Amino acid sequence: MVKVNELVDVANGIQSKRVFWDQEVYEQELERVFGRCWLFLTHESQIPDFGDFVTAYMGEDKVIVVRQKDGSIKALLNSCTHRGNQVCHADSGNAKAFTCNYHGWSFGADGALAALPMEQSAYYGQLDRSKVGLREVAKVASYRGFVFGCFDPAAPSLEDYLGDMAWYLDTWMDGTGGAELVGPPMKSILRCNWKVPAENFIGDGYHVGWTHAAAIKILGGPLAGLAGNAEFPLDDAGLQVTTRHGHGFGVILDGVGLIHDDPAYREYAYANVPAVTEKLGEWRAKLYTGHWNAGIFPNCSYLYGTNTFKVWNPRGPNEIEVWTWTLVEKAMSPELKAEVVKQAIHTFGTAGTLESDDGENMETCTWSNRGPQTRKGVMNSQMGQINDGEHPDLPGVIGKNFIGETSYRGFYRFWAELMQAQDWDAVRANDVAWKEPLIGGAVKAAGRAA
Amino acid sequence: MNAPTLQAFSPVQPDETRPAELALHHEVTQFYYREARLQNRRQARQWLETLVDPDVHYWLPIVEDRFVRDNRAAPTPQDPAIYNDNYADLSNRVDRLETGLVWMEDPPGRARFLVNNIEVYHTAQEELLGTYCNVHVYRNRRQRDETHHFYGREDLLRRDESGQLRLFRRKIMLDQRVVLDKNLYLFL
Repeated sequence: MVKVNELVDVANGIQSKRVFWDQEVYEQELERVFGRCWLFLTHESQIPDFGDFVTAYMGEDKVIVVRQKDGSIKALLNSCTHRGNQVCHADSGNAKAFTCNYHGWSFGADGALAALPMEQSAYYGQLDRSKVGLREVAKVASYRGFVFGCFDPAAPSLEDYLGDMAWYLDTWMDGTGGAELVGPPMKSILRCNWKVPAENFIGDGYHVGWTHAAAIKILGGPLAGLAGNAEFPLDDAGLQVTTRHGHGFGVILDGVGLIHDDPAYREYAYANVPAVTEKLGEWRAKLYTGHWNAGIFPNCSYLYGTNTFKVWNPRGPNEIEVWTWTLVEKAMSPELKAEVVKQAIHTFGTAGTLESDDGENMETCTWSNRGPQTRKGVMNSQMGQINDGEHPDLPGVIGKNFIGETSYRGFYRFWAELMQAQDWDAVRANDVAWKEPLIGGAVKAAGRAA
Repeated sequence: MNAPTLQAFSPVQPDETRPAELALHHEVTQFYYREARLQNRRQARQWLETLVDPDVHYWLPIVEDRFVRDNRAAPTPQDPAIYNDNYADLSNRVDRLETGLVWMEDPPGRARFLVNNIEVYHTAQEELLGTYCNVHVYRNRRQRDETHHFYGREDLLRRDESGQLRLFRRKIMLDQRVVLDKNLYLFL
C-alpha cells in the first residue's frame, strides 16, 4: 500500500514528484480514485434515442453507454462474459444488440445475454443466461444532461458528489436553460500523467501568460497584455474555488469570450445577465460572464468562456487519451454555436493554438520524474495560500485571486483522502472538517520554517 | 481573426476520366514538392503567401469509427473538426509561430514531408484541378520526441490571374482515429 502521507502535505501545499510517475501509485489510483468516483461519460444529447450508444473509458475500463427503452441510460462493461473479448468497437451508433466477434454471444441494449450460437447443442440448455449478462456499472446518473458513471455502489449520489460544485455548475448548466456538448470528440494521445492536465485546468491561471505567450500575443484584445507575464491584473480580477470532493475552478471575472475576443459571443453572454441574476442571484450572474478554468474531480476538465470540455483518460502512469468536445448553451443560435465550436477547436482542439503549448509542459512534467533522484523531490503549490478562507456568499474554500493554487491544494487534499480511505464511509467521516487543512496553511508553513 | 467561413466543401469533383497531361502533371508534382520543402524548412509564411489561395478552405474532419451498417452521413464542414480553417485562420497559426515565443519550437523541431501517389485530374471548371495524394510526415524534436502521421489529401488547386497554382480546397484524411501525438500543429 502506498504511503500517501509521504506523497501529499496538504497544510504546506507540497506534493511528492512521485505522484506523476509511480506505477504503484497509479495502480492504487485505479482502485481508489477511478473505482470510487463519478466519472464523466457523455452528454444526453449525444444518445437521444433507444439503442443510441457511445463507448467510453472509466479509468482503464472500457464501457458502453447506451440509452434504454424506458429512456434511462446504462453503462455496461465492454467485455464479453464468455472469454472477455470487447463486444463493441465503434465510437458511437445505434444498436439493438452488441455481438461479440469471437464466438457470437449477443447482448441486448440492456446488457442481458440475448442469443448465442448453438446454445442447446453446446450447453445442453444448462447455461444460466441470467448470470452472464454484461456487467452493469453500479451507478449512472445525469446532472443537467451531463452523464456520469460510478463503479462504487456505496458512493454518494451524483448530486451529493458534486456538492457545492453543482451550485457553481448551475451558473452555466442552468443559467440560460441548459448546456450541451458538440461531438464527436477529438481524441489524441498525451504522454503524461492524468493529474498534470487535471491540476492545470482546475487551477493554473499562472501559466497562461508564459506558456501561451505566443498564442495570446497574436490574439490581440485585452488578454494580449498577459503575454510573457508582462502584466498581471491581480486586484479583484477573479478568484479560485475548491469544494468538498476535490472539484474546483479559477475564474477571470468579465473574461467570457476573452480568449476568442469574439463580440457576438460576449454580447450574447452579457445580454443574459439579467435573466441569470433573476434565476440564480447576483454572484452567479457575475460568474456567468467570467472565464473559468475548471475541473470535476478526478479527470474531467473544462474551460467555460472558451468552451472546451475534456476528459483525461488514464492509459498507464505516463500516458493519457485526451477526449475533447465543445461546450455550448442550448439557447445559442445555430450560427453562434457554430462560431463557438470553430473558435474552441482553433484554440484547444488537437491542432489548437493553445493546446499545443500545453501539451509540451504536460509531457515534460511527467517524464522528468523518470529519474529516481528527481522523483525524491517535491513540488510546490503554496501560491496564494495565505489568502484562502471562507466567503460569506460563496460555498467551498475561496482563494482571493484567479492566479493562485487554492484549487490545486483542494484537488490533492481530496486525492490523498481517497487514496488513504478504506471506503466511502471513511471519506464521509471527514465531511465536517474537510476545509481545516486548507485554511491558514501559510501560517503553519511559516511556523515550520522557523 | 476574421469571422469564420464554414462554407460547404466545394461540390467540384475531379473528373477521373480526364487525367492531366504529362506537362500539367509535372507542374502539379513540383507544386507539392515545393510545398513539402517549405514545410521541411519551416517557411510557413512563404508557403502561405506563395502557394495558398486567399479563398482557401483547409479541413481535417473528425472521422469516427462506426459500424459498416451505420447509415449516418459523413462529416461536413458544419461538424466539429480538427482543422476547419480559412486563410485568416491559417495566417493566425503562422503569426503564432513567428512571435518568437513558441517554447515548444525552441530549439526548433524537425519535420519531413513525403508526398506520393499524386493523381491529377481536370474538373468541370477550367481553372480548378482536382488531385489525390498520400503523405507521410515524420516529426522529431526535443531529442527523442518522434511521431509519424499518414494521411490522404483531396485538393482542389486554382490557377490565379498570374497563372500560378494555389491551394484552394484541402480535405485531409488522417489515418488515425486517436491522434498518436500531443498535437497536430503542422501544416498538413
